[in-house]
Amino acid sequence: MKAFNIAEIALTKYLFFTGKGGVGKTSLACATAIGLADAGEKILLISTDPASNLQDVFSQTLNGEGSQIKEVPGLTVVNLDPEEAAAEYKESVVGPFRGKLPVSVIQNMEEQLSGSCTVEIAAFNEFSDFITDPVRHKEYDHIIFDTAPTGHALRMLQLPSAWSTFISESTHGASCLGQLSGLEQRKEIYKQAVQTLADAGETNLILVSRPEISPLLEAARSSSELQALGIKNQVLVINAILQDVDESDAVSKQLYDKQQQALKQIPDSLKNYPLFSVPMRSYNLSNISNIRRMLYEDVIVGLDSDYKLLSKELTADDLIDDLYQTRKRVVFVMGKGGVGKTTLATTIAMGLARRGAKVHLTTTDPANHINYAQAIGAGISVSRIDEAEVLEAYKNEVRAKVADTISASDMEYIEEDLRSPCTQEIAVFKAFAHIVDKAEQEIVVIDTAPTGHTLLLLDSTEAYHKEVQRTQGDSSEAVRNLLPRLRNPLETEVVIVTLPEATPVFEAERLLKDLRRAGIHNKWWVVNSCFSLIETRNPFLKEKAKHELKWIERVKQLSNHHTALIKWNNMN
Amino acid sequence: MKKIEIFDPALCCPTGLCGPNINPDLMRIAAAVETLKRKGVDVERHNLRDVPQLYVDNAVVNKFLQEKGADALPITLVDGKLEVASGYPTNIQLTEWTGVDLGSIPKTH
Repeated sequence: MKAFNIAEIALTKYLFFTGKGGVGKTSLACATAIGLADAGEKILLISTDPASNLQDVFSQTLNGEGSQIKEVPGLTVVNLDPEEAAAEYKESVVGPFRGKLPVSVIQNMEEQLSGSCTVEIAAFNEFSDFITDPVRHKEYDHIIFDTAPTGHALRMLQLPSAWSTFISESTHGASCLGQLSGLEQRKEIYKQAVQTLADAGETNLILVSRPEISPLLEAARSSSELQALGIKNQVLVINAILQDVDESDAVSKQLYDKQQQALKQIPDSLKNYPLFSVPMRSYNLSNISNIRRMLYEDVIVGLDSDYKLLSKELTADDLIDDLYQTRKRVVFVMGKGGVGKTTLATTIAMGLARRGAKVHLTTTDPANHINYAQAIGAGISVSRIDEAEVLEAYKNEVRAKVADTISASDMEYIEEDLRSPCTQEIAVFKAFAHIVDKAEQEIVVIDTAPTGHTLLLLDSTEAYHKEVQRTQGDSSEAVRNLLPRLRNPLETEVVIVTLPEATPVFEAERLLKDLRRAGIHNKWWVVNSCFSLIETRNPFLKEKAKHELKWIERVKQLSNHHTALIKWNNMN
Repeated sequence: MKKIEIFDPALCCPTGLCGPNINPDLMRIAAAVETLKRKGVDVERHNLRDVPQLYVDNAVVNKFLQEKGADALPITLVDGKLEVASGYPTNIQLTEWTGVDLGSIPKTH
């Protein structure tokens, strides 16, 4: 595999780095930006990194307007926060009506503006200014983004009748689009932004992954989604590949083998694109000089004699003891994709069963045969929610209901509504509400959880449409029964899982905030895949372990020390 | 001809599809309004999320909201007069007001 070399990728005016949280998009985008600036080009780097650690990297304050980096002549950095942009947008809509409309009406508005769609749209809104600004286009040789707009946002803007029908009639508008303020005025900007993105001469998409299965699948998914929208100029970069293997060090051998195994399973759809690799670095990518080295210099070993393995930490067993002793009935395991939710849910289910509880395990992971067999062997009843299947079933239910009453052109809008992230969440929520409802004597352990936004939406709709729902089927009754149970901390625990790294911890903090907003209680956090719990001589892994400590400490603060640590394991 | 105005609560979308439930009543009203529009009826739906100012400016709606809160929505005005609250008008009511037959739209009540 070729090493990632800035000179070898198509250096279009706009470069977008995309990939799952925590794969190193921001570091790679920074390394590319610094490398090009060092070569004498004028560069604008636009970051939406949720971890927001760019201010530390560049050791200067950043803002949404752009700051010249003192240490890197030619580089200007803009730091955007889409969540903040969404919050500001929400306040700009709702604020003027406080005091003019009753509190309950204000709350109704706020919740409809709190979903992931609002954040997506707010992010696209910010992007579009940078993609279409002729002054910046002229001023900079390259404009680099450390993220890319979602397919959902782009598709809404591409719907042929999105502009005319939505603006003039605003009846069957693509719902998420309705949130854009001043849509009419910005129409041309959005159109142009979408066109630029799809222009291979102007835009190159750099898919970033790690040598692991789940980020590779995520890269394949966003690759084909954006390809379908005309963004065909793509390259794949695999970050943090362990280069040398020390055969006598068991851990580094296992990690090496695991990575090589994952690399053999790169999805076919990604194989048509140029493929590059970036080695795992032993140094932390937290300052300009280290990021400068990222793409060029190989081993720089920071030998550290002070480093000690963590010990006497809480484990999964402590967590399970607590769940058992406090007689929890429903246990959700919540976290971003790829943090090990399904494995942890299985561990919890088996631990509870060993302590004598009757347990039902529900997983949403399609490739989970090992955990399945183990759980069934331990006498646990198991069910599986196929997310694609429940979503398709929900879509078909909708299509069947509207087929007679809605014209073909309106159907197009409805299809896009059905592709919104909210729809997916709701379809899955309905499926497990049903499972929880049926379980009477068993503790139900589920490897996913609803977001606070879904719950608040359900809650307000439940209150609001009570009359209508009484006449409906049993699945909505299951939903109605589950809501109060979720809010009862005596009955329900939501365990948040994360990894000991910056982005996953920040992402998990957001999940927590969202849960709190919905009045859902959380006590336990699990930090999975810790290298800081295992003995290794490998200097790369030792360095990695050392950097974990900061994030483990942060999780302990967030969870009031209800933090269970799980060591890195080549099975998950 | 009579002017019909429906003041919705803040909706994800006019069909409620990206909401938590398939709500047949929302689908029915969405389709009924479409049909009425095509027949040239002066009918409008407002989404609180997108046009909150209308909920302040319209004295009838505002007064009712101040008294009853969000539960009063949706509110239907016919020629400015409050006819239905806390729910949508039935197809029969719509036909009475407009003279347009809505027989082709499945009734859910």
